[in-house]
Amino acid sequence: MQVIWDGVREALRLIFGGDADVLQITLRSLWVSGLALLIAVILGVPFGSLIALRSFSGRRLVVTGINTGMAAPPVVVGLLVAMFLTRNGPLGQFRLLYSTWAMVIAQVIIAFPIVAGLSLAALQQLDVGLRQQIAALGASRLQAFIAQLREIRVALLAAVMAAFGAVISEVGAVIMVGGNIKGQTQVLTGAIVQETRIGRFAVAIALAIILMVLAFGTNLALTLIQQKGRQSA
Amino acid sequence: MVARDLRVVRGGHTLVRVHRFEVRSGLVHVLLGPNGAGKSTLLKALNGLEQADGTLEFEGRAVKGNGARLALRRRTAAVAQKPYLLSTSVLNNVATGLRYRGMQRREANAVALEALKLLDIAHLAARKPGRLSGGEAQRASIARALVCDPVVLFLDEPMAFLDPPTRRTLTDDLLRILDLRGIAAVWVTHDRDEALAVGDTVTFIERGEVVQSGAALEVFARPATESLATFLGLDTFLEGTVIAGPGGDLRFVLQNGRELWCGEAPLGHAVACLPPENVVLLTTTPERSMSLRNVLQGTVEDVRPDGRLLRVSVTTEGLKVGALVTKAAFEELDLRVGAPVAAAFKATALHPIPRHERAERSA
Repeated sequence: MQVIWDGVREALRLIFGGDADVLQITLRSLWVSGLALLIAVILGVPFGSLIALRSFSGRRLVVTGINTGMAAPPVVVGLLVAMFLTRNGPLGQFRLLYSTWAMVIAQVIIAFPIVAGLSLAALQQLDVGLRQQIAALGASRLQAFIAQLREIRVALLAAVMAAFGAVISEVGAVIMVGGNIKGQTQVLTGAIVQETRIGRFAVAIALAIILMVLAFGTNLALTLIQQKGRQSA
Repeated sequence: MVARDLRVVRGGHTLVRVHRFEVRSGLVHVLLGPNGAGKSTLLKALNGLEQADGTLEFEGRAVKGNGARLALRRRTAAVAQKPYLLSTSVLNNVATGLRYRGMQRREANAVALEALKLLDIAHLAARKPGRLSGGEAQRASIARALVCDPVVLFLDEPMAFLDPPTRRTLTDDLLRILDLRGIAAVWVTHDRDEALAVGDTVTFIERGEVVQSGAALEVFARPATESLATFLGLDTFLEGTVIAGPGGDLRFVLQNGRELWCGEAPLGHAVACLPPENVVLLTTTPERSMSLRNVLQGTVEDVRPDGRLLRVSVTTEGLKVGALVTKAAFEELDLRVGAPVAAAFKATALHPIPRHERAERSA
């Protein structure tokens, strides 16, 4: 019990004392996960929408692929990315393994199916009559697409929250492709693993608190936006 | 707008097959038919929302390809059964179509506000769809359609979800605006009273095909098929043969040999239908006149309410004839079950439908 109290006390000191290492790890976490999320949203929303609004042969297979991707264990994603980025791998010449870019790539692969899958599901649930009404209003394809995204904005924010939660908290992929190198590729989750392993529980608890606050703060902000969107609907 | 040989096929099934359908400016064209007849599918095909084979001409040009279909949708407007408002304010909803057509926000909002005033809902401009009543939402939907100044307005059972008073006032307002602006409308309904109330022309559709098309009163007075007659609420069907009488006037000979005077019809085997509102019930035998030429003596078999009227079934000479009477007339004539009564009707009220023929008359 004493260990936990010491940990909490130390955590508060590190957080409010502005510890440089902790700050650096936190910012790196936000950078890697934030960038990965941004890319996943830019790619995932249009991709999910395309699958939702178009019918083509093999569509079911693609949907199954997306749904499987939503449940893919990060460690498997890490393994795949590592295989591609390793010196002898297909993308080895770019020397990205054990860099933050490799971590971003892995997290994009984790977040993409979540964003695409939830966008797809939300658009599929949109009333066909509403879709036709938007077209009947004289909307071009792009105008109709934007109007439909506006209609599912609450669900889209839920997709962003789910994807952010998945990438900010995952540890398997970032350690495998980033190497958990202190001062270079270490993020909050990796740091918590390492600090726990070497018995520095106070630092681990501090980092865990920061991680929780980040997750909570981001989700709170998105929830407020989401509920505002719901009320205006 | 003219559609020729329009055919909508989905999953190997032909949903609609229409030889010709014309939308004339300034007229309300009603597409009438039972549920699942293909009315809404035809409406969407005309509006460029449903892919269809055949040719569709709008303002003299063939509508072919996505670009032409979009151009068509920007010269027309649609109101569906449900309002389908976007999750934004009423004003934004009404301005959306104008924005899609390239109008700047400020100007679009000003024009949209005028449309809201026209429909008496300017006070709802800032309201979100979730806080509107069904009637208010449908008014907003109609304002959204009219604001774009359409050449043709497509209406898919727009009053179906509204209570009768709201339906009546909104229908009156809409017809007034259509008339004022000379906008043509294609109005889908399965409600025969609504069809008669709003339609200049009525096209009856069954199993995806046009059964009869023509002036509303003509279609209601002279249905081309038994199924249409049944749909229109007629329940007196008499089997017989149309023959030419000695003076050249037409007679309808019933299967029991009884002859009745009838309206214009081809000679030969037919089923004559008799609109119940055209049957007069009398407790005394009337003198035969040129007006009420046909008189059948019988007894009251059944009395049932039919809206604000009463539907009286009379059994006469082995036949059954239906008549609509007011409650006052019912009481005055003492039309209880078993009472003797005479059913009288004009020759033109009896409309023989040739057997095994399906007529299609262009509007």
